Amino acid sequence: MRPLLPILLAALSLQAQGPRLAEVQERRLSNGIRVLLVERRDLAAFHAAMVLQGGRAEEPSALAGANDLVARALFGQTRPEDLDAAKGPGSMDALLQEEEGILESLRQEGLRRRKDPASTSQAPALEAALQNLRRALKARSSAAPLADLYAARGGRQTASASADALLVQTELPAGAFEFWCRTEVQRLSILQLSRFSEARAALAAELRAQGPQGLALLRGAALPGHPYGRDLADHLPALEAMRRSDLRAWARQAFRPDRLALVLVGGIGMETALPLIERTFGALPAMGGGEDPLLPEIPADLGDRRIQASLGGTSTLVVGWRIPARAHRDHLALRMAAQLLGAGPSGRLAQRLVRQKGLAQGVEIGLDVPGGRLPGLLMASLAPAGGKTLAELEAALHTEILRLQQEPIPTDEWQRALTQLDVDQLRIQDEPGALARTLGLAWAEAGDWRQADLELQRLRNLGPETVQAAARAWLKPSHRTTLWLQPGTDEGQDPLEIETARVLKALAANRIEDLAQREHMVSEGLRQLRMLSLEERRRTLQLLTAQLPPEKR
Amino acid sequence: MKPLAALAALTLAIQLQAQAPPRTQVFSLPNGLKVFLLEDHERPLIRARLHLLLDRASGALRPGLGPLALRMLEHSDAGNLKAGDFHQLLAGAGIELAPSLRVDGLAWDLVARSRDQDLALGMLADRVLRPIFDPSILEAQRLACWREVERAEASPSPLKLHLAPEPNWTLQAPTLDGLAAITYEDLLAFHSRMSRPDRAVLLLHGDVGREQARRLIFQTFGTWTALPAPATPVASTAPAPGPEAEALLALLLPGDPALLPVRFRMEGSGPMATLEVGTSGPAAAASVMLDRLQALRRRGFTEADLHRARAAWSAGRALVALHPEALLDQALAEARGSAATPARMEALTVEALNRELQRWLDPARLQPGALPASGR
Repeated sequence: MRPLLPILLAALSLQAQGPRLAEVQERRLSNGIRVLLVERRDLAAFHAAMVLQGGRAEEPSALAGANDLVARALFGQTRPEDLDAAKGPGSMDALLQEEEGILESLRQEGLRRRKDPASTSQAPALEAALQNLRRALKARSSAAPLADLYAARGGRQTASASADALLVQTELPAGAFEFWCRTEVQRLSILQLSRFSEARAALAAELRAQGPQGLALLRGAALPGHPYGRDLADHLPALEAMRRSDLRAWARQAFRPDRLALVLVGGIGMETALPLIERTFGALPAMGGGEDPLLPEIPADLGDRRIQASLGGTSTLVVGWRIPARAHRDHLALRMAAQLLGAGPSGRLAQRLVRQKGLAQGVEIGLDVPGGRLPGLLMASLAPAGGKTLAELEAALHTEILRLQQEPIPTDEWQRALTQLDVDQLRIQDEPGALARTLGLAWAEAGDWRQADLELQRLRNLGPETVQAAARAWLKPSHRTTLWLQPGTDEGQDPLEIETARVLKALAANRIEDLAQREHMVSEGLRQLRMLSLEERRRTLQLLTAQLPPEKR
Repeated sequence: MKPLAALAALTLAIQLQAQAPPRTQVFSLPNGLKVFLLEDHERPLIRARLHLLLDRASGALRPGLGPLALRMLEHSDAGNLKAGDFHQLLAGAGIELAPSLRVDGLAWDLVARSRDQDLALGMLADRVLRPIFDPSILEAQRLACWREVERAEASPSPLKLHLAPEPNWTLQAPTLDGLAAITYEDLLAFHSRMSRPDRAVLLLHGDVGREQARRLIFQTFGTWTALPAPATPVASTAPAPGPEAEALLALLLPGDPALLPVRFRMEGSGPMATLEVGTSGPAAAASVMLDRLQALRRRGFTEADLHRARAAWSAGRALVALHPEALLDQALAEARGSAATPARMEALTVEALNRELQRWLDPARLQPGALPASGR
């Protein structure tokens, strides 16, 4: 019996080990697709995450919003017409091509009428043709309820675009696994985008309705010229000019098999799943020679930047510090710093600024804003309490950052932060969707899904002094951008900006033919100018005005 | 070989225990509290939900009373802990405790490591059974409650319509006067009438065994007694009207081409239709929305629709296990007798389905507007 005791203890201790994220099996298909599988035999269903690496950050300017449109127009719903591969006259594809042509003619007609309002309008005839065509398209679409192929099988699909990836999450009963494989491969092969015009109109309407956003202003000022700093609302004209064929061509290039990962969690085993995946996803053609796009580098030490804006709503202080990408050695320490500062009601900022000093109503901390694959932001957003000013709040925030950098971190606070991270990890393990998403995003952001697990282990071994050193290195004024959002609206309150916009538009009208590019240039120019002092903005306006012909000044 | 066999059996038993799907075990405390345990030792985590059934005779339906009472509870001392210390203690152990207003009552959801289960359940009991309402924070919480209503009403798009087949107290946004009229005494009375073990259900899911759960729950909730006020009959203990039809409508309505461009989704507060307000303005959008909903109401569903929806519902039951929260929802519905069952689903006729559709889309029951976040 004696030799058995250690074995027994070992077997029991395996059950009691600290939490590991999951037992992941990994395979790579010959075309480059990665397959990660976490088997949960007790489940009669599975969660599948398709992670398409790239995200908004890799969209060319002319195709800004492409990932969002694909998420809405290609994924999310799975109707039979999306999988109709027929070509030629009368086919769904032909009708959609025709729709694209009419929509483009309508857009051109709108531009022409803006230049020459007196000319005869072709719009009514085009609108009528569009209506007819849409009736034909509707006749091709399923009219019955529950036409969604996944919903009819008890499943569902959602898709969302982020700065680093397009994430498509599907849940189905385990028996529908083969159906999922075939459906997704067909979807990716056909790229029907049958809901393209509807999705584009909805996205444009949402961007218009939401108006300027504080977070977008901060990103633009903190990460100028970088894709992470891009505000989709500035690209609205380009978005409205985007055609289905443009999006399809882009998607064919962007969704290369070697940039696709399938993360599966649930009641399916590798031995049954892999042959099916190889037969279906494995048949997607590999695209040799594809290289990841080169994205611009941005120095963290850009200097202390400040912006003030009035977007309506309530007063808010938003501060962002440029931090390194997720793969950087200091990133983990900064994650812990964010946890200490802002982990719910027990975080330092909530404790000191909300409860003790009564300076703020609420605090939010964001890490890797808007993504983690490239250097992004650690962001704090605070709403002042009644009677308190943004200046008071800002001073108090900086005091807390200094305390984090300089004063020893109490053991109980450190332990609390670790415990919360532990519980977060347990919850991720407990929810197949969260686990699939975590593994997929670790691959998309850090280049390796193992990071999701390794980071947890490394966090436990991190010392407070490492966190303080990282806070000193990264949360400093030269990395900082501060945004004061004040109540009221811009209308009538900042005549300087209104005049600058007028002058920029007049200058751009002389030099840039394309309306979309022109409007983008004006938005970008205004964004850059907001970072200057008032005096510098006045001088710049004078210089710009001097370039206009006298009759336009 | 015997010890080896024993070891193998033990290891297998451990593994089997780890892989066994949760099965519901039910027991009650002498005070009437019903406990539903879903044992699952896969991960060292427990989830709990304490659900207090709405007492419709208690004045709980008064708009604003529920959200304000939940806010007061959140910011009050509990047991022998000051409010701040309570939150610190929760955070220190990584325990999440979140209240919510539900169509049929109030609920507190708890997530904790299984090693902290004693502490977590003790704190849940303190929060719900032993709060010390602080009158000095009432005005601040009233103001915060009103701000939430204002924020929800300020968002113009998308246009929302709640479909409310039954009276739904979570959809009743308070007026400023109504909120101002709620007194400290009203809140105390509300709490004492809602907080009754004989109308409560405690759901436990996760890494806790039956005996341990019994001991723990007896310790923490065993002393819970209701005030002697006569318990009024509670209507919603009876099966909710048509859970089967409701489940099928939740499948059939989203994506129904007859509704487009109106979208439909199920929210915590119930079914909801939404429509983006376009350039033609909210009045035109509202007209389009009503038009689509009524067209669908007139059209109804066919026998084939019913078959498809039934098959989808049946297949989709497997997905519940992917979501621990959904497991709790399902267990609660079963506990309250409001869960759809396969037998009743099979017996459901297309006429009954369409009757329920008529009720859902009855123009007199549609409630416009957005809701504050607590109205879930």
